[in-house]
Amino acid sequence: MLKIKNLKADIENKSILKNFNLEIKPGEVHAIMGPNGSGKSTLSNILSGKKGYDVSGEVLFENKSLFDLETEERAHKGIFLAFQYPLEIPGVNTNIFLKTSLNAIRKARGEKELDAIEFLKLVKLKAQNLKFDEEKLNRQLNVGFSGGEKKKNEILQMSILNPKLSILDETDSGLDIDALKIVADGVNSLRKKDNSFLIITHYQRLLDYIKPDYVHVLMEGKIIKSGGPELALELEKKGYENFN
Amino acid sequence: MREKEIAKLKDYKYGFATDIESIKAPKGLNKEIIKFISEAKKEPKWMLDWRMKAYERLKNLKEPNWQKPKYPKIDYQDIYYYSAPKSVSEKPKNLDELDPKLLETYKKLGIPLQEQQRLNGIAVDAVFDSVSVATTFKDKLNDVGVIFCSISEAIQKHPGLVKKYIGSVIPLTDHYFATLNSAVFTDGSFVYIPPGVKCPMELSTYFRINASQTGQFERTLIIADKGSYVSYLEGCTAPMRDENQLHAANVELVALDDAEIKYSTVQNWYPGDKDGKGGIYNFVTKRGLCKGVNSKISWTQVETGSAITWKYPSCVLKGDNSSGEFYSIAITNNHQKADTGTKMIHLGKNTKSKIISKGISAGFSDMTYRGLVDISLKAKNSRNYTQCDSLLMGNKCGAHTVPYIKNKNSESNIAHEATTSKISEDQLHYCQQRGLNPEEAVGLIVNGFCKEVLQQLPMEFAVEAQKLVGISLEGSVG
Amino acid sequence: MEEQLKIDFEKLLENSNFSKKNVEIKRKSFNNFIEKGFPNRRQENWKFSDLNQIISKNIKNLSFYNDLSKPNKIDQSIFIDSLEHNKIVFINGRIEKIEFDYEEKNKIEILDDLVLEKPNNNNNSLIFLNNAFVCKYFKLIVKKNYSLKKPLFIYNITNKDLVSKSINLKVDVLLEENSYLKLVELSNDKSVTNFININYNFDVQKNSILKNYKIDNNSNSNIKYYFNNINQDTNSVVEVFLLSSGSEFIKNEINCCLNGKYASAFVNGVFILNKSKHHEIKTNINHLAEYTKSYQLIKGVLEDNSKAVYQGKIFVNSKAQKTDGYQLSKAILLNDNTEFNTKPELEIYADDVKCSHGSASGNLNENLIFYLQTRGLNYQEAKKLLINGFLLDVVEKITDSEIKKLIKNIMSLKQ
Repeated sequence: MLKIKNLKADIENKSILKNFNLEIKPGEVHAIMGPNGSGKSTLSNILSGKKGYDVSGEVLFENKSLFDLETEERAHKGIFLAFQYPLEIPGVNTNIFLKTSLNAIRKARGEKELDAIEFLKLVKLKAQNLKFDEEKLNRQLNVGFSGGEKKKNEILQMSILNPKLSILDETDSGLDIDALKIVADGVNSLRKKDNSFLIITHYQRLLDYIKPDYVHVLMEGKIIKSGGPELALELEKKGYENFN
Repeated sequence: MREKEIAKLKDYKYGFATDIESIKAPKGLNKEIIKFISEAKKEPKWMLDWRMKAYERLKNLKEPNWQKPKYPKIDYQDIYYYSAPKSVSEKPKNLDELDPKLLETYKKLGIPLQEQQRLNGIAVDAVFDSVSVATTFKDKLNDVGVIFCSISEAIQKHPGLVKKYIGSVIPLTDHYFATLNSAVFTDGSFVYIPPGVKCPMELSTYFRINASQTGQFERTLIIADKGSYVSYLEGCTAPMRDENQLHAANVELVALDDAEIKYSTVQNWYPGDKDGKGGIYNFVTKRGLCKGVNSKISWTQVETGSAITWKYPSCVLKGDNSSGEFYSIAITNNHQKADTGTKMIHLGKNTKSKIISKGISAGFSDMTYRGLVDISLKAKNSRNYTQCDSLLMGNKCGAHTVPYIKNKNSESNIAHEATTSKISEDQLHYCQQRGLNPEEAVGLIVNGFCKEVLQQLPMEFAVEAQKLVGISLEGSVG
Repeated sequence: MEEQLKIDFEKLLENSNFSKKNVEIKRKSFNNFIEKGFPNRRQENWKFSDLNQIISKNIKNLSFYNDLSKPNKIDQSIFIDSLEHNKIVFINGRIEKIEFDYEEKNKIEILDDLVLEKPNNNNNSLIFLNNAFVCKYFKLIVKKNYSLKKPLFIYNITNKDLVSKSINLKVDVLLEENSYLKLVELSNDKSVTNFININYNFDVQKNSILKNYKIDNNSNSNIKYYFNNINQDTNSVVEVFLLSSGSEFIKNEINCCLNGKYASAFVNGVFILNKSKHHEIKTNINHLAEYTKSYQLIKGVLEDNSKAVYQGKIFVNSKAQKTDGYQLSKAILLNDNTEFNTKPELEIYADDVKCSHGSASGNLNENLIFYLQTRGLNYQEAKKLLINGFLLDVVEKITDSEIKKLIKNIMSLKQ
């Protein structure tokens, strides 16, 4: 599904990712763990198409280069990024944002756009599953939301947009244990044989609830070790400093 | 991007002209022309005298020049001051008599004049160049005593009311364009809401400039008698022409004790082409007088059209406990210029005013918010809150905020806030990640930015205004 | 007045030995002033303070020639003794003392008898007036990499001998690269009904710091105009604090150009006015380079029939991306006959900027007074405490602790 070969990324002449390689097959859950500044967020930014990076190498999504696609086109193709810091958009109602987003994606895929009633039915169902306070959906997008609410809102959006590849950028940070469980349940309910996940995290805590198929350790822009879920535990025990 | 921009601009969908035979007064501004207009409208002598007084006064006035957008000198002798479709030289009694071309024009503009075609009961007065061509739902309004007709008709049928209130808010001695209007105004709407009546439907006037080289000088007078309420909407469009056309309207509102007037405008005059050629000069004087105690006047405007917009819908808060509101969205793109805002003059005790202004500039355009809050010595315990936010798109445009704040009263409070910002890259990225293209994303964010104002508009207008906000900025995202 | 001006101008030229070049420039400036006269409210800049009217109302028989040949006696008691400082003393417009006892002599240079600048197209007639009538125009230079060890106090003293005169002073200050100056200006007026017109030009070069504190606290009947022109190069910092309180009328105009990247300007001020005093602060902050920053906080407390005006403009040109501009003005109106007028203006041509302004005026919060009364304070004490806190907020912005202490003392503010 996703193939990254020799990816290099620089920002303002500073090299962030060096020779990064990764392959994710349909249905797999990969976790990337790394300390601050190892390049985790850069990876999610590049996969989602954020501007401002000098990149080289190859990133293929379903055998097509991602570099040729705009951010929204990647979203249309089924890439979803749960932001580490979800943005606030004053004045824009959360429901309206969700509906606009869903219909933009449906339209691009040649599917029928949902009308208000169909949409509200869908949102209600998904929100209930995630124990998301429906009243919040009538508020301005992320404005005045707590850190945990913003993250849950990201997972709600993910479950509504039903992407093929979901990238969770430190979704666990700032979550208490209850919220963490809800987020994990949300992710687990989306796990299907065609849907893949890339979970980017600092701690292995989230991986107690979402069992990854593979764990990779990212240090200074490179994957230095890959393995199964046991790698995360090892990392937790030793710490990043002593790991190398 | 460039080509797309041009293509988009061709999309000013009201840019068509109606080929219709019209009666015009000769070009130029003089006593004969004023007599011609007055006669064409079968006005009584007092009205003509009033116009002449304005004309005399005009001779000693100069055009103001303190505003930010400058414009080439206007040759006032090279303008037609009166143009009317020939077919309505006698105003038709009903729609069946109205020229089908006119009906068709309004239909194309999305304003069907046939009452049965109207969705949710909005009474419309349609003004075409210098005359009102039709007013709908007159009978229904008559039942509750509401007078809604063209000002020309009101001068003939309700002279008492017109005589009492015309010029009572915008006096003959006002600035150049207001006085010019007083001398040569042609048509516009008249509304009277009797005491205690809540007007059963939205009233609306749709202004259309069709003829070329013609100025439109409409005059609107709305009187809300004690304890009454009215919501009034105004829309405007014009064909695409290479020349600049002058639109200098006067709007006067009077609210008596406990009365409320809500006045909404969606202004979409032709803005000129992408190089700034053509377009309307929209120099409008709008002023409301909260004459009675507990009265309220609320202005809402969405200004997206015109080459130059220059207007300050204002409230004079004379009655104790009266309140004034001003909600504004102004968008300029390409070479458009706008200098707009409001004046809140607090004269009575416990008066309140609120100003929410959202300005968005893109392309090579220039936008100024200019406003005055003046709290006089007698306006004890008065309050004002002002918020002006500007959004810039690109660095070829400008956004300016020029508020004048005068407080002469120790028991009053004034608060003013203003910000200038841009749409952040991160917000755009976030929306795009959710599948929106950059233009949709900008439209969404800008509509969010304007939300407080859009909410003030009546439902039917709000939807249209939201679309207009998106359309006006198309081509401005790189 | 025109007659008087002409006579006085010729008298000045006769009794001084200006260079030929200077005489020429002075004549041009004089003619320019004659043409324009004192500014009045028809000019946007003077909309809220009609100087022409204020002068004619307050000063009878204004004359423009001032004999500076005889030295004045310096009253030592006027000097601040709570902190060590360098001194420049003006009495009635004449330089009486220049004393840099604490500094390395070769690091500071003072030039006088400079050639005046040619009058430009400036519309400010008072600069022309200044140019025409200024006697000694002098310039202070702080050399590269030098930080003054002690602050410099400029004492602007006028005594009883001075009546209905126009005094014009012009001072240039050049801070060479990486230098540092703290400049305190204290005025002390025993004179009556004069028009005092002072021009400052500050050139703050790369990495330099200027802290300028202007204190006008003694009640007097003079009419004053201060024009401060500030040019800032890369990475320079300018801090200005204005205590606007003593004179009958004073307008402090600050025109600051942030010409170099990362330059920042902080302009803070307080009005404390009573009786019929009328004061204005006008700022014009021009952001002309990237990453420049400005911050302005102005507060006023007005009593009796007094009037305060704040016109503050932030201008951002299209090159000045990443500008950060902030401006806030607040006033408490204690009486019904007081007036606070503001015009906080933004003119912006760059899209990636953060600019905001705010303004609020009104009476003291009665709920707060009530709260304090329930805690045992009487009405007057409560009021005083609240005003104290309101003003302290601005004074706390002063970054030099010694001078902050001094200013708090002068304002008799409690911590």
